[in-house]
Formats: sequence, structure tokens, C-alpha cells
Amino acid sequence: MSISMKVNGSSVSVDGDPEMPLLWALREKLGLTGTKFGCGIAQCGACMVHMNGEAVPSCQVTVSAAQDADITTIEGLGANGLHPVQKAWVQLDVPQCGYCQSGMIMAAAALLERVKQPTIEDIDTSITNICRCGTYVRIRKAILEAAKA
Amino acid sequence: MSTITTSRRGLLGAFVSAAGVATFNVVLPGVARAVMADPAGAGDIEVSSWIVIEPDGMVRLRIPQAEMGQGVETALSQLIVEEMDLDWGKFRTEFVDPQVNRNRNNVYVHTATLNSWGVDLLFEPMRQAGAQVRAMLMQAAGARLGLPPEQLRVAANRITDASGERSIGFGEIAADAAKLPIPDAKTITLKPRAAWRHIGKPHHRLDTLAKSTGKAVYGIDVTLPDMVYAAVRQSPVFGGRLRSFDEAVIAGRPGVLKVVAIRGGPSGYTTPPSLWDIIDFQMDDAVAVVADSWWTAQKALDDLPIVWDEGEHAAVSSESIAQELDALVSKPGKSVRSEGDTDRALEGAVKTIQSDYHFPFVQHAPMEPMSCVALVNDDGVEAWGGTQYADEALRIAAYAAGVALKDAKFHSTYIGGAFGRRLSQDYVSQAVQIAKRMRGRPVKLIWSREETTRRSYYPPVAQTRFTGGIDGEKRVVAWKAQAAFGSAPFQPYGLSRIPFAIPNVEIEYSGIQTPPPFGWMRGVAHTQGTWMSLGFASELAELAGVSSYDFHLSLLDETSIPADRPDRDDAIARIRRQRRLLQEVVKRAGGPTRSGRGRGRGIGITDMSYIPGYHASCAAMAVDVTLDGKGGIKVEKVFAVVDVGTAVNPQNVEAQVQGGINYGISNALFGKLTLKDGRIEQGNFDEYQLMKLAEAPDIDVHIMPSDGRPSGIGEEGTPAVVSALVDAVHAAGGPRIRRLPIMDQELLLRKS
Repeated sequence: MSISMKVNGSSVSVDGDPEMPLLWALREKLGLTGTKFGCGIAQCGACMVHMNGEAVPSCQVTVSAAQDADITTIEGLGANGLHPVQKAWVQLDVPQCGYCQSGMIMAAAALLERVKQPTIEDIDTSITNICRCGTYVRIRKAILEAAKA
Repeated sequence: MSTITTSRRGLLGAFVSAAGVATFNVVLPGVARAVMADPAGAGDIEVSSWIVIEPDGMVRLRIPQAEMGQGVETALSQLIVEEMDLDWGKFRTEFVDPQVNRNRNNVYVHTATLNSWGVDLLFEPMRQAGAQVRAMLMQAAGARLGLPPEQLRVAANRITDASGERSIGFGEIAADAAKLPIPDAKTITLKPRAAWRHIGKPHHRLDTLAKSTGKAVYGIDVTLPDMVYAAVRQSPVFGGRLRSFDEAVIAGRPGVLKVVAIRGGPSGYTTPPSLWDIIDFQMDDAVAVVADSWWTAQKALDDLPIVWDEGEHAAVSSESIAQELDALVSKPGKSVRSEGDTDRALEGAVKTIQSDYHFPFVQHAPMEPMSCVALVNDDGVEAWGGTQYADEALRIAAYAAGVALKDAKFHSTYIGGAFGRRLSQDYVSQAVQIAKRMRGRPVKLIWSREETTRRSYYPPVAQTRFTGGIDGEKRVVAWKAQAAFGSAPFQPYGLSRIPFAIPNVEIEYSGIQTPPPFGWMRGVAHTQGTWMSLGFASELAELAGVSSYDFHLSLLDETSIPADRPDRDDAIARIRRQRRLLQEVVKRAGGPTRSGRGRGRGIGITDMSYIPGYHASCAAMAVDVTLDGKGGIKVEKVFAVVDVGTAVNPQNVEAQVQGGINYGISNALFGKLTLKDGRIEQGNFDEYQLMKLAEAPDIDVHIMPSDGRPSGIGEEGTPAVVSALVDAVHAAGGPRIRRLPIMDQELLLRKS
């Protein structure tokens, strides 16, 4: 069975079990390893992608549920140069191990789509991704910085 | 068949690790996958073991430490760049090849990534390496240009004369330079501090762009042609053996290729020089399912009936371990520090108190689950992944494959968090054992989150019974600590190295074997001992009717150190330093206390010192919390002051202090694993809470100016902040925290 979707602006079709989580299709079938596996149960946010403009944990979206959807991964976020969130991340040296940061950046970019000038409280309550290196102080600063762009 | 209609390059592109370690293209299924390119391209010249120069003059620096977030790749680069006079940005890095390290008699000096030692132990060797290669390039260029080397300088990866009119590129002269003998390190003069352009300057991390665009390659991302995927399950009971599994249940499922029994056994050593026992890690039996995708493999594994011989630990629980520890602290243990006559001083004290402190099992919980890619074929074994000790990963890979060490290769990738976990090479052994059964095909092993939680190497549980007494003038006259630790090397230092000047001190230590095996974790046993000791000091302060801060200062009094104390000089130096930092942090926080209902400020200090004379960083913290009176706690602000000697990359020191603090707070607020029927009960993050943005405080970091030799900073934030946090809870009107985690106790309702 072959399921069509748009990934980072390209039309692709994914073969195999339609119940496979999108996360694994992105990573193993499409080679987009920037999207990370952390928990598999939508707790950590490392697998976050944009699906039709909304941030979703790709471990919870089956390939069949993504049929005809428009998916953006971290590789596609800055397709035309770095996204303002990525620019702020680079400017403030946010990542440490970096493993959670793809998901964190996708969550931050989605937040800024919804709320142009978020407060720290907006950030703290709407982003629930886990960063085990504890880069939270710089994450907050970088989102506020990106909001100025 | 997958198809791409547009923008192929935008979708896929080439994945290049910033470390330059693995360059490979990822392409869609149905198209032949590109092979990982050999990082040493044609024409590259290895000028010394540390530095390679490419034909176009690009320099590659070899990094002997694992990059797991601590920023060591950047800091170590700064050291070489400084002495080579490279321009920032005109170089790349690669992780060292453990086979080269082995063949060249440990030329990379310090390759185990542990104990915050990277910059500390490599500060001299890496600067020397840079200076040596610079001298070789100068000499070679001088011969070519017909000029004395002292009239030459380095600019933009070229060597030029004073006027800049005559010059020669690194790439043109590298081959000549490589033929010269490497100058003796003793003949090399390193740059004086005043001439530093990179050391001590806040450089951006080298890996930030790759880590902000999804391009950084971790072990879990390594992709090879014809690769298959494996999921693994180990005995749920520690020490259990594999008896059988019923392969027929999953046989014939689409995509499932094989079921493999994995044998338990050695999983690597850590050998920190002289400070501790050698740790000989062991792993248990396991079963792996191999499939054409990881999800398929894990699903089949979940359905695979496995019978375990649960062994001797099947009845062990957190409660049974707690009882063992409790029995132990009542009995005399091994005396690790004894000054004066503590029992007599306690008898003579005006007031005495006794309290027990408890530390639970916790886990590292790196965001990247354990993973490794391995290939076994006629050439031997080749493995890719993130490890804190590539030399041991190499050895374990060879052992698991059953090949000679010379026929093994290991390629280090970036690591998605480790915190000590990846000092055991269990996942490397497993991947290789599976690959051995899939001969000729690369296998990517990935652990589920549950497996990562339940089969780790854990910092020890601990209980300490403190007894202390004060005299009529509110001075501490006696301090006794009787500690009992779970499986661990001898780790009394968090308790025995308390810096306080007290005339009668007795520290005893006992250990028991607990089924969850020992592992190093960020903060090591300072994590257990420091907050317990400082917490008890605060209890004595309350007994004396003195503020916690004033009491700490009164104990950090060098004039009270007995003249006959054997480590007197060390004790005085530590007291001076900790006192200075504690005063500084309280000044920066605006005072030792703060007022307001439910609001509290606590203080903590540590120097992560193990033995007298140990070269360690020092940290002091003040933590502000608010208790809402309904059981809720908000950690609002942390002030940190650190002395790390020379801060090689100050912005990274700040990041490490912030990260270490959040790691400590997360563990102290939430961290707790429990054991039942010999098994870890928690599996995923819905059962093991970690700090998120909503719990993360604002953190202000101040780095004390220093000309000293650099010391580590990856860990210092962790123990100090826990001490300050529990102190703050009490100051805010909450209870005395004697048992972690804080949120485990419904005690935050006490009225102030």
C-alpha cells in the first residue's frame, strides 16, 4: 500500500504498513533523520513536525493519518534560509547535546505562528518538550528574540 | 516505490556532521544508498596525530573526547587554534579513531569522557599539539621560501612573511611539514596568557548550526546501505538469564527477519586514574528482533513470548533495599575520616540531634535512547555510535564479534545526552552480537525508552545517619555521619569532604550490593553526599538558633581548623575559596534570605573535591522558591557563582552551569525509580517525570575571574543546587527535606 503526502514541499509516497508512525517513515523511509525518537508516547516532543501547519508529535501520527497532509520537518523549516527561530537558536547557542532541539524548534516556530509576541508564561505553558541538558533559559531567550524578527 | 516530484535537494540533501566524522548521503528507498565516505580524502596530510591538512588548506582537528552536549569539541578546538594561529571557522573537527589511539600508545592522552576532565587534562597536550604543528609548518615554509621561520607568521591558513608579499598555503606545505620530526614538547614555548585570542573568549559552539537544522548525526541517525533494524529486550529482573523464546508466534510477519539471542557478559571498563576502583561493567542476556524497520521490530518483540530464569533477585524491592540500608547505618561502618573524639564530644554537647537522609534510585534519561550501528563481515567488525569511551567501545565490539582487536573499527558520532550512561558499552556489544548473526548487513540497534529506563547503570541509593552536637556557645563540637550506599565503588567523598572546620568528625561508610548495577552519573556521589551534609548543617543551625547562612560561614572558618589536622593546608584553601564564593553569591542574590509568605531562599556550596589537593571547580548557589501552600513548589530563580580557573569558553561555562543546575533540580524534584519483584517499575516519561520549561527557573551565572589552570564545569552545578533547593524549601516554610525526591512527600503544606 502506498500513501501520498507532501513532505517539505515535495510530493512523496510511502510504502509499507499504513499504521507505522510517521516518525519512522520520515526517518527510515525518507531519510529525514533530523526528526528524533525520544519516547514514542508523545511525552518528550523530540519527534515534533508540522502537519498542515500545526506542531504534532510524529510518533502519534500514523502514515495513513498523514495521507495528503502537508508535513514540514526540521530539514524543511529553513528551506529558504534559516527560520527566525533557527537564527535565534544559532545566535544564542541554545543546543547542548542538541537531540531535543529539532522538536523544540518546531514547537517554537508553531507557537510564534499562533502567538506573535508570546510572554514567558505563554512559552512555558505551551511548549512541553523535554530538554534533558536543561537549556531552558536560552530556549526562552531565543523564542523572545525570534519574536522580534 | 517512493517518488519525489520536486525539490529533491531541498528534501534530502547531504548529511554532513559538523564533526566531519561521517559524511554520507541519505536517499530514498529503491535508490541505491550511498556508502559512508572515507573521511580521509585523497591528498589529506596528517601532520601529527592531532592535525590533518587538506589540499585546499582546510585544517582538521582531532577531538579526543566525546561531544555529548558539554561543548568540549569547541573548547578543545580553541586550545589548538590558539597555538596554531588558525582563523576561527577555517577548520573542521573529527573525533579521534580509537584504533589510532591504540596503535600509537594512547597518543590522545585522555579519551574517556568522564569526571568533567576534558578541558582540564587536555589543556596542556592540545595546546602543545597546536604549537608543534605550527612550528613544523613554519620550518617547512621557511625552507621553501628561503626565510628564517621567526620572520614568518600565520594568516588565514597560510604562512606569510612580515610584509605579506610572500606566502604559501597550508595545503602546499603540509607534506613537507609532515616529514619533519615533531618537536619535543619540552622545547615548545606556549603563548603567554596576554597573547591569547581564543582561550577565555566566548566562542559560539561549532555544532550549533548542525544541531539547529537537524543535520547533526547521532548514533541513532547513522544510515548505511542495506541496513536492517533491531529492537532489544533484556531480562526485566537484574541478573536474570534467558531461558527460551517462542519465535513461531512472530514468524512470517511482514518485514521480520530474525530473532537473535544475545549473551550477557562484559560491557566495558572505566579506569579513572587512581581515584576509584576500576569499574567492570557487565550486561545481562537479551533477545533482539531484526526487521526491515525499527517499528516493525519493536512491535514483533512486544508480542514475542520470552521465558526468563529470573535468578536470585526476583524478590528484591525498594522496601527490602531500604531495610538493608537502614540496618547498616545503625552499625559501625568503615571509618573514612576520624578527627578528635566524636562520641565523647557528643556526650559533652549541650544539644544534640540525629537525622537520617535518603537518596533514591534515579536515572540519566538521555534524550537519545541507547543505539548503535554495527556491521560484521570478512574484514572484521565496524561500529558507529555515541559512546563516552571509544577505546572501550572498540574493544567490546571486537570481543562481541569474536575478532582480533586490530580488525575492529569504531566511529564516534555526536551523542544525544549521556550524563555517564554511555560509559558502559552494553548497547555496542548487543548491536555487534546481532550483526554477527546478520553477517554482511549493517544493523541499527535502537532501545525503546522503556528499555533505556529499566536497563541502565544507576547511581547508588544511599542513606546517611547524621548525629551532631553544639556547645553552649552555639558551636558545632561533633559531627558524625554513618553512610550506607547501594552498589557502587567506594564513594564517601560527598560526605567525607565537607569543608567545615569542626573539631570532632567521624565519617563511616558501608556498602551493600543492590541488583541495579552501578553507573556513573553527572555529579557522581557528591549528588548523594553534599545535600545531605549541608542539609544537616542547616538543622544544626536551627538547633543553635542561627541563620543557615551565618552558620555556614561560622563553619567555614579557617582559624578553627585543628593544628594537627593532616590535610590542614588543603582544608584552609578550600574554606577560603568556598567562603568567598558563598559570600559572592549571597551578595548577588541581594542577601541570604527573602521575606514573604511561602517565599524562601536557600544556599549551597560544593567543590566536587575527592581527595586532598584535588584540582576541582567550586560553585556556590542561592535558590529562590515559592510554596503555594497547596503542595505546589515553584523554583523561581537560581543565582550561581563558579570558580573554574580559566574559563576557556565563558559562554559555554554559563551553559554548563545552567544545564547542571536544571539536571540537579529535575532529579531533586521528581527523580525516583522504584524496584518491585526485582524490576524497575517505571518505563517511560509518563512514569518518570523530567523538568520541562514550566518548572525551569531563571538562572544567573557569574564566573569568578581567575588565572588558574582550567577545571571542569559539566557537573559542578548539580550537587550544589540540590543543597540550596532543599534549604530554600525549608526557608519558605516547608518541611526539612531529608528524603528525595521533593515532590514525593506531601509535606509542603506545613504553615510557615
